[in-house]
Amino acid sequence: MVYLDNSATTRPCPEAVAAVTEALEVSWHNPSALYSPALAVEKRLRQARALCLKAAGAGEDARLIFTGSGTEADNLAILGHLRTLHRPGEVLVFAAEHPAVSACRPEIERLGHRFRPIPSLRDGTVNLTALEGLLGADTALICVMQVGNESGAIQPIQDIARLRDRLAPGAALHVDGVQGFLRVPFDFRHSGAQTYAFSGHKLRGPKGIGGLIAAKGHRLQALTLGGGQEEGLRSGTENVPGILGLAAAVAAYPADANARMAALKRRLWEGLQAAVPTARLNGPALDSPACAPHILSASLPPVRSQTMLTALEGEGVIVSAGSACASHKQKVSETLLSMGLTRELADATLRFSLCPDTTADDIDRAVAAAGKQWKALSPYVRR
Amino acid sequence: MRSLLLVRYGEIFLKGLNRPYFLRALVRKVQQSVEGLHAQVWLHDGRILVAGFADMDEAMARVTRVFGVHSVCPAVEMDKADFDALAAEAVRLMADISGSFRVVARRSDKTYPMDSPEICRELGHRVLAAYPALKVDLHHPEHVLNVEIRDKAYLYVRVIPAAGGMPVGTGGRAALLLSGGIDSPVAGWMIAKRGVELSAVHFHSYPYTSERARDKVLELARLLSGYCGSICVHVVPFTHIQTEIHEKCPEEYTTLIMRRFMMRIAEQCARRDGAQALITGESLGQVASQTMEALNATNAVVTLPVFRPLIGFDKSEIIEVAERIGTYETSCLPYEDCCTVFTPKHPATRPKIEKLVESEKHLDMEGLIAEALAGVEVVTVTG
Repeated sequence: MVYLDNSATTRPCPEAVAAVTEALEVSWHNPSALYSPALAVEKRLRQARALCLKAAGAGEDARLIFTGSGTEADNLAILGHLRTLHRPGEVLVFAAEHPAVSACRPEIERLGHRFRPIPSLRDGTVNLTALEGLLGADTALICVMQVGNESGAIQPIQDIARLRDRLAPGAALHVDGVQGFLRVPFDFRHSGAQTYAFSGHKLRGPKGIGGLIAAKGHRLQALTLGGGQEEGLRSGTENVPGILGLAAAVAAYPADANARMAALKRRLWEGLQAAVPTARLNGPALDSPACAPHILSASLPPVRSQTMLTALEGEGVIVSAGSACASHKQKVSETLLSMGLTRELADATLRFSLCPDTTADDIDRAVAAAGKQWKALSPYVRR
Repeated sequence: MRSLLLVRYGEIFLKGLNRPYFLRALVRKVQQSVEGLHAQVWLHDGRILVAGFADMDEAMARVTRVFGVHSVCPAVEMDKADFDALAAEAVRLMADISGSFRVVARRSDKTYPMDSPEICRELGHRVLAAYPALKVDLHHPEHVLNVEIRDKAYLYVRVIPAAGGMPVGTGGRAALLLSGGIDSPVAGWMIAKRGVELSAVHFHSYPYTSERARDKVLELARLLSGYCGSICVHVVPFTHIQTEIHEKCPEEYTTLIMRRFMMRIAEQCARRDGAQALITGESLGQVASQTMEALNATNAVVTLPVFRPLIGFDKSEIIEVAERIGTYETSCLPYEDCCTVFTPKHPATRPKIEKLVESEKHLDMEGLIAEALAGVEVVTVTG
């Protein structure tokens, strides 16, 4: 089975599986307790925290709050920050954000803030000119993802931070790094972001664990109340297996993975172009600095993505249609439409997403299957 | 004293000499419905009694779904000798009641020291004494306290309406053409209600319809089987027939030619199963293939009778039943059925049978049907 839906989730690496198992079998004590086995667990959590902070380029003064998911980390960054503000302002949210961010809109508005979408350019990146027009003294928070989950576009976070510094110096910047952490370099300290969210299962760690990195002094209010764990920002006994599994996956992330994935993504696109005459690349061009190494969005008209998806699975190749989080809803992706795709093209779009374990053989098999199925299916379209 | 369910049947009362046959069938169906609840079911004095279960709500939910059951009363069975105990229990049963009531007593044991009017008067008096806010209304009471004096005494207040109809199996067997939509499960339910055992035929157009679409249909069959017992679903591979029609037949006739294939194949599956009729969810004029001319065209290819219980229903009426029987939500899951890709833009609404027959000459009818039948997968589902 060739698995190219790594942006939905990844297969946990052996190191993560071993760490989770060890935590369940050996290091299962409550890290808040006073006896020595608990202290040992607490020490390991501290090491895990430091490792993740370092991997995101965060300094020792930054905080990392472990959460139950990337979604929870995004919610905490947005709502947890807005709840500390005393006057209503504008919250600027990139139009292509994942629902973990965009679905906060009703709650943002309930808190008295105005929700303003930041438009996308055709390559899936933030329209900086439009953002410039939106920023002002009223801007309270800006939310932009590090890498588009549907487009594979790397967002110009530093450019956004510079604009913010010039036009809305009081506004906080939140970056959803769920699709970017480790796969695209990120230097939290110099990024200009106040918060950065990530998730364990997208990088070969376990599910049920995410994290939010917050700059020193950045104000957040807890969304969960209880025993005061995670500096009071995420009560609930720490998910030790999740945290240790995540840290193991971060430590095991190969240094050369991103270069290899970028080469494989190029091989995939060139193969698709040769095998499918109608293939169209969505998102940034392969040689653009905005092109992430692991996500390829391609439309293969006239074959609908749902049909191609099922046919490819029959050939042992798993991909997703648009964004897997939304694909059961059978709606054409708004993100793809905002990137200038017609409804027909958006409905014929597949997302191939790679991970450090993806091989050239996987790519070749996916290309061969896509070519074969496109040939078989393309004659049967609505006349 | 013990709790039990007093199960009343409706139409079976109208049966003459063969009433015992229907009653035996109904007892068997009630027994099957409470399987796993450790309940005893027996026929006694013209009613079916169910006792011995631990979970009254679960037992009631199951028995009210059995076709042939008119209503179910959660009752108390007790020794009839001690009238004071009887009255105390009657007072307890009326504890949550407000508004008006009357007492109805039936006395099949004519040796009982009190006659029916006396029992009514005395119990009414004691209930009123306990709950002075209650009012007696002999003509239009909001609640009725029923007392039956047989070999034992039976007391009940609540009468829960049940599914009605006839016990499944007493009306033969029919094959339901089950898509994934709203209508066909309702049609199957309505015919099963008349005592008919169901099998189902589903046409699967891989890869145009996905594994999820197939699962959805099996789930619908499972929901139906909660009413009518296990269902054999014939999953028919249909893609080749559709691509052949698409390639070789005039566009406006493709839907009807496809429907005629479905009817022919369903009839063969029905005969394999010993079914004596086909059931479809068609409703006159709902879509192009459900005009009177179109129905004639699809009827023309089969000899078994075709039951269309929804023929005079509006869509809203069908939805109402679907919601009531619990299939609506599953039917609305957005997985494509029988592939919209093959739907013509302008299907013929007043087809000429001669033209359909002429078009079908371009196809290897027998070969295609034999191929589809050879690939049928039979899945048995139980609720």
